[in-house]
Amino acid sequence: MATAELVLGLLSSGPAHGYDVKRGHDAWFPDSRPLAFGQVYTTLGRLERDGLVEVVDKTSGGGPDRTVYALTSKGRDHLADWLTDPVPPAWGSADEVLRKLVAAIRTGGDAAGFLARQRASHLRRIRELRETPADDDPTSPLVREYIVAHLDADLRWLDSALDRISEQRGAHQ
Amino acid sequence: MSGQPVLELESVEYSYRRNTALRGVSLELKPGEVVAVTGASGCGKSTLLHCAAGILAPDAGVVRVDGQDLSALPEERRAALRRTKVGIVLQFGQLVPDLPLIDNVALPLLLDGHERGEAHVAARHWLEQVGIADDADAVPSELSGGQTQRAALARALVTGPSVVLADEPTGSLDSRAGQELLDVLLQAARYRGAALLMVTHDNVVASSADREIRLRDGLIQHEVSLR
Repeated sequence: MATAELVLGLLSSGPAHGYDVKRGHDAWFPDSRPLAFGQVYTTLGRLERDGLVEVVDKTSGGGPDRTVYALTSKGRDHLADWLTDPVPPAWGSADEVLRKLVAAIRTGGDAAGFLARQRASHLRRIRELRETPADDDPTSPLVREYIVAHLDADLRWLDSALDRISEQRGAHQ
Repeated sequence: MSGQPVLELESVEYSYRRNTALRGVSLELKPGEVVAVTGASGCGKSTLLHCAAGILAPDAGVVRVDGQDLSALPEERRAALRRTKVGIVLQFGQLVPDLPLIDNVALPLLLDGHERGEAHVAARHWLEQVGIADDADAVPSELSGGQTQRAALARALVTGPSVVLADEPTGSLDSRAGQELLDVLLQAARYRGAALLMVTHDNVVASSADREIRLRDGLIQHEVSLR
């Protein structure tokens, strides 16, 4: 799960402290499990260590710790790369595709471009599976058909997402 | 894939009475290239194929086959160019019901003035290529959907076209027969060296292309390389 990149996305609109990041995440994904505070702070610590975020304000005293984090330029580049790259099609990859799509829309990224690249990535994977030579294992075609069927279902969702984004873009023009 | 395009569409527009189906679509196919045109129902993909085939004349824009502007040719030469340079495979085969397969496949050559024996030799060759030579004397009503589509493919290739246009070629078939037909279609087009433009809503068919062009509301929504 790409929690680190989502945290970068949540910080892209401006500096925030851990509590805001957690609240922002839960608002982006209201139907998924809320992000644990512990995970937010661990992630922010790791991102700071890697130079992707920096501490821009810190107040401590009687109340709770109020460390405010901001994206560094390295963090902004990392986020842009993540939002550009399609997700390698594999079992469970649809979840990350959804996360990237939501993050791209929320941060003003090129969501339609991402979906088109993701669509191409899924189609390439279907062709690879179709071109895999048959072997003696009787379960191989079953596994391949299972994966192709799931990639096909992902593609149908990607299509409707593309159409919905195009409609929204048309409505706003 | 290099060389002059075998098919070019330049800013093609087409409307059916009040419905605008194409709003300025441009694309080109290089020799041997396989391109999938996808998009939701009503996006204009079949209209695009019919314009490319010269079945519909665009309201605006240019269609060139082997460098020749279809609209600049007199009807007779346009029909001849269509017969010899463009092969068409539609969703339900569209074979002539009372003719044996060998005659169905030979038909484009006979219409083009070839001698019957010569046309039959070529037709038998292509029936072999698509794997249904044993059914040469059967009439279409005796065939399965997959065999009908194979015969339609043989008929599309018999004149040695530069480009094959396929409209939902697997659309009437179940999954397995569809995949088998797709393999035959790709192999036969490759064997002939023809470019292939497939209109499809089937992702497995689209995945076999070198390039995907997705239409939406009569415009190209995106174009991506699949290689």
